[in-house]
Amino acid sequence: MEHYDLITVSSPHFHDNSSSRGIMLDVILALLPAVGASIYIFGIKALWLILTCVASCVASEWIFDLCTKKKETIGDLSAVVTGVLLALNLGTEVSLYEAVIGSVFAIVFVKCIFGGLGKNFANPAITARVFMLIAFGSVTSFVNPQLRTVEIASSATPLANLASHSLDVLSSGVLPPIKDMLFGFHGGTIGETCIIALVIGWIYLSAKKVIKWYVPASFIATVYVLFLVATGSPLFALYEILSGGLFLGAIFMATDYVTTPITVKGKVVFCVCCGVITFIIRRFCSLPEGVSFSILIMNILTPFIEKLTHNVPLGGSNNGK
Amino acid sequence: MLFKRKISAVHVPHCKATQDMHSEIVAPPESVTLPMSMHSGVPAVPVVSVGDHVYLGQLIAKEGEGRVSSPIHASVSGTVSAVSEKSVSIKSDGKMEKDPEMKAPKLETLDDFLDGCRRSGIVGLGGAAYPLHGKWEALRKNKIETILINGAECEPYCTADNRTMVEDAEHIKQGIEILKRFAGSKEYVIGIEENKPEAIAHLTEVFKDDPAVIVKPLKSVYPQGAKQVLLWNATGKVVAAGQRLASLGVIITNVTTLAKMARFFETGMPLVDKCISVDGSAVKNPKNIIVPIGTSMEYCFEQCGGFKTQPGRVLDGGPMMGRAVASLDEPVVKATSALVAMDLKDSVVIEPTACLHCGKCVEACPLNLNPVEFARALDIDDEDEREAILKKEDVAQCMECGCCAYVCPAHRPLVANNRAGKKFMRGRRK
Repeated sequence: MEHYDLITVSSPHFHDNSSSRGIMLDVILALLPAVGASIYIFGIKALWLILTCVASCVASEWIFDLCTKKKETIGDLSAVVTGVLLALNLGTEVSLYEAVIGSVFAIVFVKCIFGGLGKNFANPAITARVFMLIAFGSVTSFVNPQLRTVEIASSATPLANLASHSLDVLSSGVLPPIKDMLFGFHGGTIGETCIIALVIGWIYLSAKKVIKWYVPASFIATVYVLFLVATGSPLFALYEILSGGLFLGAIFMATDYVTTPITVKGKVVFCVCCGVITFIIRRFCSLPEGVSFSILIMNILTPFIEKLTHNVPLGGSNNGK
Repeated sequence: MLFKRKISAVHVPHCKATQDMHSEIVAPPESVTLPMSMHSGVPAVPVVSVGDHVYLGQLIAKEGEGRVSSPIHASVSGTVSAVSEKSVSIKSDGKMEKDPEMKAPKLETLDDFLDGCRRSGIVGLGGAAYPLHGKWEALRKNKIETILINGAECEPYCTADNRTMVEDAEHIKQGIEILKRFAGSKEYVIGIEENKPEAIAHLTEVFKDDPAVIVKPLKSVYPQGAKQVLLWNATGKVVAAGQRLASLGVIITNVTTLAKMARFFETGMPLVDKCISVDGSAVKNPKNIIVPIGTSMEYCFEQCGGFKTQPGRVLDGGPMMGRAVASLDEPVVKATSALVAMDLKDSVVIEPTACLHCGKCVEACPLNLNPVEFARALDIDDEDEREAILKKEDVAQCMECGCCAYVCPAHRPLVANNRAGKKFMRGRRK
């Protein structure tokens, strides 16, 4: 028999054929319904925002890799995910150049300088949104897509209306009907309003086993239960979870692999804590929105949660210690 | 149990095309090379010289001195052609002539049983290759309530244990009778994955009048046949690190090991041959063949029609835990259960990308270990700190089953890392 050059590598010699790129692609596919909804509801500006963010995220990663002589990493598609997520977190009043600045901030200062994908401690899209919230006033101005008029945050979005904490708001007529809340015809960031589109993404990601369905559920359920207990009104609590960026954050950002705990237990604890912080911010702070901040705070606390939720090895030598 | 802990597992392709193929005895090869270290423990010591004539089954290497070892026997009849500390080669005379003095060993007392196990040269054929007598020595100290007979065979491509159960149930039965005499256990559980319905049906039929023997179908998930996993799924017990399985009143033995043991006590024939599954995307006619131990892998593949396409990786064992060999000259050893040749397409090594911290490895690990922490620890320069983390994370528990690397989307070499971690810990202990 002839001689063969055999490859000698470590076992296992089988793989389930998953890849990081495949997972990112699944996330992008899961975001498509929300992308479509945002363009339908908010018009062409939403499309420009998304394209701008994606293009500038990918470009800044590419340029960063080039400048630091690193192997090109844009092929893993994570910059595309960051770009789409950041865009969905912005309102139509944000100008395109502001979106570019936010994207560069997300990729370069939150991800790349920490060593790239897998090394960043905070979610790039969330951090960039918080940065833009502080830097640009436009981030808190929202358009009511039905009236097509610019209004100031304090009176436009359902979340801002809910911030009064008074149950009167339910009967005052300032809130859109639940149907509009689900379909997204109200003020807010372009990607957060259409709950149905986000839930389709949630189902897709769960079916593809990218995320566990109950991880986002624990975030949303925590917020619901806390508002239910605080106000005693199931309807008020329902409006709370349907408004603001809760679904978008819970499904797509509180499930980010890199910046959340590694064990499933840890991921649930992470999300419950996010829920509590969101509740505290919405209820007791002057900011109407708490989801971004809660995820950012929990990103920082992730190593601590990992310590608390460490798995006990089966038959391990440290059992009970 | 209401809150029965579920052990993580992965679904790997079964690839058991040879499952229903009757094992074939092939013509003996021209020569065999028997390594002195094909069992765990101390290498055996050759007792023959170049030019000696040996019969099939004749002792050619005695147990090495030390903790535990196993003797080695001629797997063909012929002339010894080379002897070194590492191996003994025999040129076959093609006759497969049995040692005329071979007879069934005396089997009256526990001492006879253990002595027989020692002289049989049998080792754990499930993969660990631990000498048989080392395992049953526990009968002197521990009361064994349950004997688990492992017929799970969860590795893809491997079907040799299935053939044992289907073709050689008689020896399994005899083996259990011997264990009944010397272990006196209450129950004998034969665990078989559900993807082997013929074996389950056959053994259920064979043991239908024996209430002490339970044929237990197990879910076909990987690694169902691993010690800790089988123990949990069949008995609900957990063996802690450093604890011997026997102290829980349980012993696990592989089904083929048991049949080989029964054959030895019946005929005196030690472990000289092995049924192996030869399969993989590069093999022309996958088969189960019975070959003398020490046969070159090349000869085994030739017996299966050779390669239909160029092989890129050749594995001693299955694709999850098998070792990729460097050369087809390597011999089949005692614990070889399969030879898998993968074609070039399947053999491509995918470049690892950055760890996403996704936790899929942690979720897949049957033992709940954290491969990410192992990898992180290995990057630490301070050896004391590295040791502290690896100890805390229990790297020594890793059985290298490969589930973590199987599911890793970044294609990180997690098993290689774990192995490096274990090696580092062994070095520190010395």
